[in-house]
Amino acid sequence: MIWDMWKQGFNAWETATAQYMEKVMSNPGVLGPAGAMLTAAMKTKAATDKAMSAWWSMLGLPTRRDQERSLHKLNQLESRLYDLEEKLKA
Amino acid sequence: MMPPKKSPLDSIAALWRRAPKGFEPPVGQTPHTVVWTENKWRLLRFSPATKKYATPILMVPSLINRWYVLDLGPGRSLIEWLVAQGHEVFCIDWGTPGAEDRYLTWDDIAGRYVGRAVRIAARETGDTHVLGYCLGGTLATTYVAAFPDGVASLVNLAAPVDFAHGGIMSTWTRTATFDVSSIIEAFGNVPWQLMQASFNMLRPTLRMAKAVAVLDRAWDDEFLDGFLATEKWGHDNVSFPGECYRQYIVELYRENRLIAGTFQLLGRPARLSAITCPVLAIAFADDHIVPVPCAEPLIPAVASRDKQIMVDRGGHVGAVVSRKAADRLWPALSTFWAQRD
Repeated sequence: MIWDMWKQGFNAWETATAQYMEKVMSNPGVLGPAGAMLTAAMKTKAATDKAMSAWWSMLGLPTRRDQERSLHKLNQLESRLYDLEEKLKA
Repeated sequence: MMPPKKSPLDSIAALWRRAPKGFEPPVGQTPHTVVWTENKWRLLRFSPATKKYATPILMVPSLINRWYVLDLGPGRSLIEWLVAQGHEVFCIDWGTPGAEDRYLTWDDIAGRYVGRAVRIAARETGDTHVLGYCLGGTLATTYVAAFPDGVASLVNLAAPVDFAHGGIMSTWTRTATFDVSSIIEAFGNVPWQLMQASFNMLRPTLRMAKAVAVLDRAWDDEFLDGFLATEKWGHDNVSFPGECYRQYIVELYRENRLIAGTFQLLGRPARLSAITCPVLAIAFADDHIVPVPCAEPLIPAVASRDKQIMVDRGGHVGAVVSRKAADRLWPALSTFWAQRD
């Protein structure tokens, strides 16, 4: 009984809070600065990674990005071979 | 019949008894074979003991969640239920993208991969029904709009189509300071943690509500099994391939190209008005991720004569895997396909 009453109160609070938070989260006054902070953090990380890989490639070594590009090309090549196989079978 | 009501103390006792067994129930248990593997994705085939319907069903799940939401365990599995009804089911398992998959585009995923899955599923019968769930529905829709051959019908399950009405997600992604390129430049693939945090922000009180629900109902084994399976799935996310995410945000969320009729797939126009096969769009009234006005506009936009919208109660996930889904949604899907076999 006490639990049921508490639960009813909680559900009412939860619904009201969720509605309020939705309003807050879609407010341009919150979204603008949040987006700017996220973008700044991402740009800092990207700049740090770029500096690291520039240093790495100065040693003549393939960077992480080089390896990713090569692997992707291999995957693309595999897909094109499957495409070709399908066309030959058709 | 609902079991008699008990107290939170019974729930705590039930959780205590469950602890030695662990809180991760087995998922994806319906027997299947892997019929295709390419890059990280696989095509799974679920064959019924007695095939009752000629046309198979291809399921395209979301890229950022695991496929097994459609096979969440005995009694909670849409796939298991459909197979028991005599449908042959194929389902894409997108796998986990590697760092190199940051370069995968929407063309690669919706054009090449979904296209291959459609052709394999339709190999024996000439065509296949296609069901897309959530983002998988958007992928499937763009494919069917550009390449309608081999598709017997399209079912969109809580799939975003009109991104002008994408709720709070649209508002976020359209914020001028949200720079999608900087995320991709920093991480390559968009980390699942970032996406999960944004989904949590859609309803910050949801975790507390879930805790209360567990206290209230954990004494019911069926509820607890379902809850744990859904939670396991909910926390088993995958990152979004970077280039594909950029297209998703810029061309779909911001420019709403699917509704504008300007979206392209593998160099071909992907116009909704080019879809002529039977179409069923399903939306859920309490869905915060894909609100009804975001999913519904598929129906007036397609050229199909045989088209319908179904709006049911429930949320984005619960409405697909719950007891109510087994009573209403799953039979409705089976009937839709049976009538168009």
